[in-house]
Amino acid sequence: MSAMRVDAKVVMLGKESVGKTSLVERYVHHRFLVGPYQNTIGAAFVAKPIQVGENVITLGIWDTAGSERYEAMSRIYYRGARAAIVCYDLTDSSSFQRARFWVKELQNCEEHCKIYLCGSKSDLISEDRSLRQIDYHDAQDFADEIGAQHFETSSKTGSNVDELFQKVAEDYRSTSFHGMTLQETGVDLTPKKDSSFYSCCHNN
Amino acid sequence: MDGEAQRATASWGNGTLAPGDHLRSDRAESPTPGLVEGTEPGAGQKSAMFVHAQSFEDLTAEAEEEVRREADINNPGDSEEELNVLVGEKEPHLTSESKSKEEDVSSEAWRSHRKHVFVLSEAGKPIYTRYGTEEALSSTMGVMMALVSVVESEKNTIRSIHADGCKVIFLTKSPLVLVGVSRTSQSDKELLRELQYIYYQIVSLLTLTQLNHIFQHKQNYDLRRLLAGSEYLTDNLLHRLDRDPGLLLSAVTCLPLASSARDTVSSSLQAAKSKNLVFSILLAGDRLVTLLRKKDQFLHHIDLHLVFNLVGSSSSFREGEGWTPICLPKFNTAGFFHAHISYLEPASQLCLILVSTDREDFFNMSECKQRFLERLSRRTAYQALKDALKSPTYSVEHVGIPELRHFLYKSKSSGLYTSPEFPDVYISDSEQERLMGLYQELHSSLHHPTRPLRFFYRCGERENLLAWVTSGFELYLCFSPLGTKALAVAAVTKLLKWIRKEEDRLFILSPLTY
Repeated sequence: MSAMRVDAKVVMLGKESVGKTSLVERYVHHRFLVGPYQNTIGAAFVAKPIQVGENVITLGIWDTAGSERYEAMSRIYYRGARAAIVCYDLTDSSSFQRARFWVKELQNCEEHCKIYLCGSKSDLISEDRSLRQIDYHDAQDFADEIGAQHFETSSKTGSNVDELFQKVAEDYRSTSFHGMTLQETGVDLTPKKDSSFYSCCHNN
Repeated sequence: MDGEAQRATASWGNGTLAPGDHLRSDRAESPTPGLVEGTEPGAGQKSAMFVHAQSFEDLTAEAEEEVRREADINNPGDSEEELNVLVGEKEPHLTSESKSKEEDVSSEAWRSHRKHVFVLSEAGKPIYTRYGTEEALSSTMGVMMALVSVVESEKNTIRSIHADGCKVIFLTKSPLVLVGVSRTSQSDKELLRELQYIYYQIVSLLTLTQLNHIFQHKQNYDLRRLLAGSEYLTDNLLHRLDRDPGLLLSAVTCLPLASSARDTVSSSLQAAKSKNLVFSILLAGDRLVTLLRKKDQFLHHIDLHLVFNLVGSSSSFREGEGWTPICLPKFNTAGFFHAHISYLEPASQLCLILVSTDREDFFNMSECKQRFLERLSRRTAYQALKDALKSPTYSVEHVGIPELRHFLYKSKSSGLYTSPEFPDVYISDSEQERLMGLYQELHSSLHHPTRPLRFFYRCGERENLLAWVTSGFELYLCFSPLGTKALAVAAVTKLLKWIRKEEDRLFILSPLTY
């Protein structure tokens, strides 16, 4: 699986037990594991190809551990990421504070990384509206403010999960085409000199 | 701390422990008890795979020294009252606001657990408890810290309190204090060893450097913040300490596998090397398939058990390829290694752990795994390995010794042990724990700090036991109550012969290096 070429690095961030692993599990394996909570150790990597229009884009998803213990390591996971899915638990207001922390961190260190704000466990809210601790509009306002996309998902029912990753992939494709053309022109210019230089040498 | 560092280097010095060259000349078919280390059945042919020599003593030596220097606090009269406080008897205000999964720490049930383990900071702040919640135990842990401090103020160290069928063992490993309260018949030394394991478990998550740093800056730091989500690792380790003979013997057991297949697996793994790759470990459940190491680097069995515990406790590595910092405290308490952990196939038991020194090495390690898997899957050894997974253990009947129910055999020079599956008599959890308890007692007698035994036969109501330690091996046999001493003694030679005959399959005789 890892031998696959990865186009876009996507990192999952957020407080522990908000459901980052469940989200990846739902998206990649189309399943929701019920059972005692198991926290992620370090980080887990999984590559997933996704169809966008006529292209297939492979997302390399880094599911990081939410525990503070690994905070010092987090940089290696989000460095160079094209997208960050910052998760919070709709039923836990402290997890939203943590999401703000990650957004700030990303804005400071990884300005080219697109941010997707993801409120998880929406199935709990639909069962019992009083459980909601993060108002939809508050989160939306915050998302607008930081220029992020905003989703509310449920890994249990699968609601909005595919849409989230589809959006990540589409955004990647639309920006990367700009990026690629820029890069190509950038690459074109320098090697020209080089190649003529080398061809001279070779001709000798 | 300096002392410890020195000791660590010392144990490295004499700890390379590859059996000397003179030892492996002849491998007699029928080994005698006079066998020297390095020629016993199961001894590696080329070099040892990990540091193991001091094994058990290695863990407790430090404590022993101090015990010799300092008086043991052992005054049942005085301590009974303290103990009652410890066990929470006279603390009515400790009512339960406990979490749902947790139990009431003032209840009789909580108090009657066989073995409690508490970890606290030197400021008396709770860090871990095996049962109940840390919050509910803050005053109890405060009392524990007070006991430690009172004795310390007299330039002494509290080691243990013995009272009324209960032992309280203290281990101070600045900046942590570990306390075990046990109703089992285990010796102080055994209990201390278990506390050491818990200590190393915590260090493996954080490194000692980080621990010291944190508490130097903030003495009353709540370490639970950093350990959040790791409690189950400690819980599981404690469970293993009760159940896994490997932790008792300071040894590891292997998946029985034809040596030709194992060699192919090892060489495939050897071929997939990388600059910063230090150790590669292939596991089948709790059994070692093979282990490769950089030439001059040895893995300590404690570190290996911590890795086993990490992998065995978590399903998180099934989701994808895991990449996690891990400190191997017996190797270096100061820094992290980075481990790539993944299963060879989604539903497979085979888990590959690649330990690198570089935290940016994920994709290199991922590629190493891929190369290993490609190479291995082209060979018939892979099928042989998969077949071996179906019978990861063997029945004691294969040995053909009447009345023999179970045994543990450890080759000292390789640090590997072998043991058959538990027979029907010991199939229940409680019976297995009871048998392990008996082995622990034998082990304590053989490794007694002042009066170690070499040979021990014990006739019990429900089984007869024989234990024997030589410079080459340790052997623990369990016979039905119908067995006799003469039979048991005769069985030893027969068993050693059988192990010698099977050693190719049961042990890793030719470990490879990078």
